[in-house]
Amino acid sequence: MASLEVRIHAIAEFKPSAFPDRAWVSVPNPNNIPLIATATAEKSVRVYSLKNFTLHSKMEGGHNRSVRSVAWKPVTKNTGVLTVASGSFDSTMAIWRRREDGSSADLNGREEEEIFIENNVEEEEELEIEIGSDGKPKPRPRLITRTTDSDDENEDWAFEIVLEGHDSEIKDVAYSPSGQWLASCSRDKSIWIWEEIGEEGEDDFETIAVLQEHTADVKCVSWRKDDGNGEVVASGSYDDTIRFWKGDDEGEWSCISVLEGHEGTVWKLEWEPEVSMKRFSPEEEAKEDDHEPKIPRLLSASADCTIRVWSRAPTPPPPNKPSYFNSGIPSTMRPPPANETWECTATLPKVHDLPIYSVSWSPKTGRVVSAGGDSKIVIYEERTKGRTAVGGKIETEWVVMGVLESGHGPWEINHVVWCKRFDAGRKSEDEEMIISTGDDGAVRAWAIEEFVAPAENGVTVPVVAEGTPGTKVASSS
Amino acid sequence: MLDNENPTILSVSELPTRRDRRQRKDQPKKDSIRDKLYGTPDWEMNPYYTLAYSDADSDDTNLEPIDEQEIYDLIAPICDPEHPLSLESLGVVKLQDVHLISPLDPAKPAALSRVLVELTPTVSHCSLATVIGLGVRVRLEKALPPSFRVEVKIKKDTHGQAEEVNKQLADKERVAAALENKSLMGILRKMMQPCIEPQYQ
Repeated sequence: MASLEVRIHAIAEFKPSAFPDRAWVSVPNPNNIPLIATATAEKSVRVYSLKNFTLHSKMEGGHNRSVRSVAWKPVTKNTGVLTVASGSFDSTMAIWRRREDGSSADLNGREEEEIFIENNVEEEEELEIEIGSDGKPKPRPRLITRTTDSDDENEDWAFEIVLEGHDSEIKDVAYSPSGQWLASCSRDKSIWIWEEIGEEGEDDFETIAVLQEHTADVKCVSWRKDDGNGEVVASGSYDDTIRFWKGDDEGEWSCISVLEGHEGTVWKLEWEPEVSMKRFSPEEEAKEDDHEPKIPRLLSASADCTIRVWSRAPTPPPPNKPSYFNSGIPSTMRPPPANETWECTATLPKVHDLPIYSVSWSPKTGRVVSAGGDSKIVIYEERTKGRTAVGGKIETEWVVMGVLESGHGPWEINHVVWCKRFDAGRKSEDEEMIISTGDDGAVRAWAIEEFVAPAENGVTVPVVAEGTPGTKVASSS
Repeated sequence: MLDNENPTILSVSELPTRRDRRQRKDQPKKDSIRDKLYGTPDWEMNPYYTLAYSDADSDDTNLEPIDEQEIYDLIAPICDPEHPLSLESLGVVKLQDVHLISPLDPAKPAALSRVLVELTPTVSHCSLATVIGLGVRVRLEKALPPSFRVEVKIKKDTHGQAEEVNKQLADKERVAAALENKSLMGILRKMMQPCIEPQYQ
């Protein structure tokens, strides 16, 4: 019996600053622009180009303590402006803007500018491509790549507004997929939901909700895509629980689910991508009569060294529901948003032996990558095991496809994420890589190579690769 | 107000140490690794220090591996935040409560060492247990090579809020944020003073 496994190769290291301090997280732009933003203990956000792994720009001067988190605002209409939110240990959140062409976001002049951002793969792929095979002319390059020795590298991101309200360190910030809401969470146990009101770029934010049911630090927030009933934000906490929050028709936000099971801080939450939802949905069930929207599953990574998969359980009948027959007075109370019942349906194979800080679910392959305090990078895949019955539920199992030790030498890895490749060395237009971010202040890119490994005694042996920091990589020095 | 106004103080001469205090003055370079640790370690400045560390020095047979005694010596002189006394003389840190799990194959660059230090607070309601624990963790993280993973815990049954304290001390994000807190850093700096200054004149 043979099994498909992966090797993890170093592609490049993004050049850190001269005296690097801890880097917390690196977030690729969600709109296919070849940029990735890294939040650092140097009180700044570094933005790197994914085309050549060099420093593109910096956001500095907005925070007076570590920047812990960063989020790109998803672009839903073409404005030619990139927007980033950063959350800091200084308990504030900052909004930054930058024109696509590299100048500071001059929002008054923005309307006249040529529209650039297209939520469209092809548009992005054209950047700096000579003459396409389909005869398209070369578009003018619209991204200015700056070098590290440029004096004004930090001037192109405009610090637009500071959002205050949290009492202590902000741990995570996240835009909802629609771009309508911005969530922030803090050691002060609360989650704030913000909405940008007025015209885009007016920098008028309103606090929509302050959610305070966690009993300790809220470590992470992650938005679930709208399934037709509105967007849901999930939060993971130092109190070991996960909570889901949703606004009702009147704009009142409340907790609609509590997921308990972890025996340590929940460091990271990640929603299932569509590719994975489609793969394991029994086609027989996806008939016309099934109007239930498909709900993605959730992955959680924890200090208890486990990664769990959570699935929505069929909604049980609400307890103590008043009978239709005995209510003489019609209720004026609106029903609260429907609560959801979730259960842990799988635990990924245990590889990490120190807290797991990050997990990412590939939108292309459905594979999962994790990393944490033990410096390992681990790749998992969900595979079909069989069906309980003909036409029944598909049973799956999670297997380890590959393990890379010492991804950042002896340093802890704070974050890993799947990211599309844009560099010249990519093998195909949709090739993916992994970006890791570590306590050494480094951000590294890793390629995945598949191979078929013969299994010994029917047991899958994961391949262990050494990720020595000195590995010669294809980056420009 | 002091948590414990009359702490038991152990006689310094009976405490375990490998330091020869008088000789140290004459031959300060002999204790190679500890002296290296007391200075500004290279790995604090250069994240790739360990590369040179493991590659170039691994064949250096004179380099003794770090042991429990050495770890103990790093934290023993830390000063208690409310008494001008060391954690060693207050019995907060004890050599037998320093546990080290070294990797089976130290030549393997991926190998991590695990350190567990169990603290015995002077009184079971000591409100400063978290600060002391933070001091011990920070001291070891700064002084030991980055391949060491440090865990600091309150010894079982010695403190009312041991679990809460342990969880805080294990949270790297909380520790990182605490180190950006100026007033807390002031306290820590005072506690660390005996570790940094030459103390045996």
